[in-house]
Amino acid sequence: MADAHASDGRVRPLVIEPGHSFESVTGSISEIVLTQKPTKGWFLGLTIGFALLMGLLLAIMNLLVTGIGIWGNNVPVGWAFDIINFVWWIGIGHAGTLISAILLLFRQQWRTSINRFAEAMTLFAVACAALFPLLHTGRPWLSAFWLFPYPNTMGLWPQFRSPLIWDVFAVSTYATVSAMFWFVGLIPDLATLRDRATSPVQRTIYGALAMGWRGSAMHWQRYETAYLLLAGLSTPLVLSVHTVVSFDFSVSQLPGWHATVFPPYFVAGAIYSGFAMVLTLAIPLRKFYKLTDFITMHHIHNMAKVMLVTGLIVSYGYMNEAFFAWYSGNNFEQFMMKNRMFGPYGWAYWLLISINAGVVQLFWFRKVRDNIGLLFVLSIVVNIGMWLERFVIIVTSLHRDFLPSSWAMYYPTRWDFTMYFGTIGLFVSLLFLFIRFLPMISIFEMRTMVPEAKVHDEKLEAL
Amino acid sequence: MTQTNYAAPADFIARSRPALMAGVVGVVLCGIGFAVAREQFYRAYLIGYLLWLGIPLGSMALLMVHHLSGGAWGVVIRRIFEASSRTLPLLAILFLPIAAGMHSLYPWTNETLVAHDHILHAKSPYLNTPFFLVRAVIYFACWIGLSTLLSKWSLAQDGGDVNAARKMQRLSGAGLVIYGLTITFAAVDWVMSLNPKWFSTIMGFLFMGGHGLIALAFTVVIATALARRAPMDHVFKPVHFHDLGKLMLAFVMLWAYFNFSQFLIIYSGNLAEEVPYYITRLSNGWQYVALGLLLLHFVLPFSMLLSRDLKRNANRLITIAVLVIVMRLVDIAFLVSPEFNSAGANLHAGEDAVSSAFVNWLDVAAPLAIGGIWVAYFLRQLGSRPLLPLREPDLAKAIAATGGH
Amino acid sequence: MSASTSSTPAIYGLTAEFVNPSELVAAANRARIAGYRNMDAYSPMPIEELNEALALPKTRLPRLVLAGGIAGTVLGMGLEYWASTIAYPMNIGGRPEFTWPSFIPVAYETTILGAALSAVVGMIVLNGLPQPYHPVFNAPRFHRASQDRFFLCIESADPQFDRQGTEQFLKGLGPQEVTEVAW
Repeated sequence: MADAHASDGRVRPLVIEPGHSFESVTGSISEIVLTQKPTKGWFLGLTIGFALLMGLLLAIMNLLVTGIGIWGNNVPVGWAFDIINFVWWIGIGHAGTLISAILLLFRQQWRTSINRFAEAMTLFAVACAALFPLLHTGRPWLSAFWLFPYPNTMGLWPQFRSPLIWDVFAVSTYATVSAMFWFVGLIPDLATLRDRATSPVQRTIYGALAMGWRGSAMHWQRYETAYLLLAGLSTPLVLSVHTVVSFDFSVSQLPGWHATVFPPYFVAGAIYSGFAMVLTLAIPLRKFYKLTDFITMHHIHNMAKVMLVTGLIVSYGYMNEAFFAWYSGNNFEQFMMKNRMFGPYGWAYWLLISINAGVVQLFWFRKVRDNIGLLFVLSIVVNIGMWLERFVIIVTSLHRDFLPSSWAMYYPTRWDFTMYFGTIGLFVSLLFLFIRFLPMISIFEMRTMVPEAKVHDEKLEAL
Repeated sequence: MTQTNYAAPADFIARSRPALMAGVVGVVLCGIGFAVAREQFYRAYLIGYLLWLGIPLGSMALLMVHHLSGGAWGVVIRRIFEASSRTLPLLAILFLPIAAGMHSLYPWTNETLVAHDHILHAKSPYLNTPFFLVRAVIYFACWIGLSTLLSKWSLAQDGGDVNAARKMQRLSGAGLVIYGLTITFAAVDWVMSLNPKWFSTIMGFLFMGGHGLIALAFTVVIATALARRAPMDHVFKPVHFHDLGKLMLAFVMLWAYFNFSQFLIIYSGNLAEEVPYYITRLSNGWQYVALGLLLLHFVLPFSMLLSRDLKRNANRLITIAVLVIVMRLVDIAFLVSPEFNSAGANLHAGEDAVSSAFVNWLDVAAPLAIGGIWVAYFLRQLGSRPLLPLREPDLAKAIAATGGH
Repeated sequence: MSASTSSTPAIYGLTAEFVNPSELVAAANRARIAGYRNMDAYSPMPIEELNEALALPKTRLPRLVLAGGIAGTVLGMGLEYWASTIAYPMNIGGRPEFTWPSFIPVAYETTILGAALSAVVGMIVLNGLPQPYHPVFNAPRFHRASQDRFFLCIESADPQFDRQGTEQFLKGLGPQEVTEVAW
């Protein structure tokens, strides 16, 4: 076990198993990329991901040829799977930035071994998320025309009072900054790969990407400054992104959407589902790639704790919504809540409550946090719960709106599901390619965890 | 570590006398106010009460966060947090004037008004006098229970109880949940129901953020004063203030975030039942208070706290902390006062009325009265224990020069 | 590398290789105290102590980032102001043409975008990257500077540089090896 129990009964965590040197850290992480042959498991995973990705392409083709009629959207439920999946994916992405930026600012060393693939996860999740707003009209070429400000012959400009435009800016800024953050983090490791490369092809590609990085002291100083500044910028950025996503709903007037608690509650939900996804990925990765020395039980524990905290905030949001729907004294608010709980989609509401407010309580127990297998299952369950949360917020608020004559049920079609699972395929494919071609753990930051890395300056004092 | 018991410096604790004297002056003024302008008194008292209540509750919440997360920042100020949170019984007693002034403060206590108003009638299962009082008792029971247990175990740890740290950690998880729930409903009861038809679901977060902020600011003030004297002068290092400054910066940003979110959502929704809240607060002079809050509660402290040098210099950080405490008072007044007219009558109690910006001398007297008494009591609590948790396993690490995490 | 002329030194400098950061920092300190100025340390990870040991100037990057952030705010808000009040004014729910509360989110995002772009581009450009060729890579074991070894390089451009004397000095610091770096 990675934890050492101290005499006071509390736990002294280890972020790296003892006995590692600069060389062993460098070697064991870079060999996955440079010398190891891809395993059968890797091919199997990539194949599954790729098959789903083919489904995505098929769904997109059908969408472009036929139009959004292939989906289950109808008049009261004009926003359905697109926005549900968009919010779900964006939320998953948030954990990556949180791990790499916020934990860096708080000087939490346990981030080091998980930040790289968490950031990769962010990028891929944002890519999946971005597909939905681009495709939701069925005519993606119009997106540029409607969403981005550029001088056009009709003299039209985007409607800057609309949260959907805020979203365009938030998500594209988020994608750009996450990509830069990820790349900056990679530069020293790319130099390591360049210098350890066994073939000229590897050396050329990694060398070009490393841009001639040589680890000079002045370079490191600027690098560290830039990295810290990026972390400082990413933190308010990541909070703003899901805040803006919550504005998509909350600045409207629809009961069930218009609630001032939405921004913090959405941010917490994003982190909650994001950490669930990090666990879903980290647990098999550390096993199959024998990274238990670097992704220790301490990491798993902390992630479970973050999920507990954010899950409780999300539950607090549910309680708030229910209480204030009643407290408002507003008929429409009260009806929305009653319909959400006991209407035709009541099963989804209670399922989500039992997961996000019920199952999350298991994380209070150390025994649960110690049980890797159970955590893996729970992390998937939480992802389902958070998907249901968005389903409930979106569909139950829309399907019975102010005017009973326009009420209708919403049923997703197989194309809705093909597209949703297709984005999971895209995500999985990108992830498998990433772990094959780039170091999934930040090597240079792991070196700073090696005991030798601490500078002993007794010689300094002598001088 | 040097051999000292880290007793609080007597000259500092002796400041409880002038504080108490200030409190007595405030009480006398409040007595006059009570006699001549009862409604103004109750309103101002509510403002002053909410201001000072934020310090012990915020301290208790941060203490629990620290028990869960660890970190050098919390070890060296733990005793300040604990002393603050032990003042909650005093604040329970100081709640009595609010209970007595309910009818002046909260229009939903007026039965004829409720009988003729559909919405107020519908809300009466929650907004009624007995339940309001029962809830207040529950809140204080929870808060006093938590703070007492945490304080007791902390003392037991000094006495050598090795399980105390674990017990405090265990309680803190549940304690934070209890704090979050109680403060949300307390915010509804004590502030939101001043305008019984208005509601905003972010109110609980606004209060939690405000509590954390004022607790940190107050702790910075006390820590700076202690850092100038033995025995704490060699304990507090720039790195500790740096951490406190960072946390203050985070809470300043949170405050702005919650407030802007609420504002933008209500402004954009523009619903008849919500938007009057901001119409009132952005007209008839109140807009200048709002602007002042934006500049002095956010822009100024935010830009100052970005500086690393300022955060590491206690003597400069304290000015920001004092500014924050003053602005907390303004912010709470901005929550409460616009629901009243300049004579101190609640706008929602009778005919539709307009609130023009006003400030009453009781707005100074009431915070002074409560604050004087509270600070005196706090200092005595601070003096009753060593200023550091001496048997805390992380203590040596926390007071090492690097202030490691 | 080709032979030098008389005006340029024959070599780029001399490197000393160390096995851990403590030795590197100590060596850099001694070299500074011995009066060397044109030198650089190369390490596989950031070492904060080197900033002091090599007396490195503080980077200008934070100021650049501040400027980038301000530019982002001005451009974002300016775009919204111009598009909504001058280029295409439209009455939306009776709100003023310059609906500043609704314009804050976009201006906020462009602020962060401007600042982040200047941080990354600034770091890369100030570091002189991408740099296809640098002589220090000619040091025979320099490929380990990105893995597990720590190098101190005293450059021939240093006024105090002396092929033999400097080599002796470096050897006195207890390195694994001292080698020449060709141009």
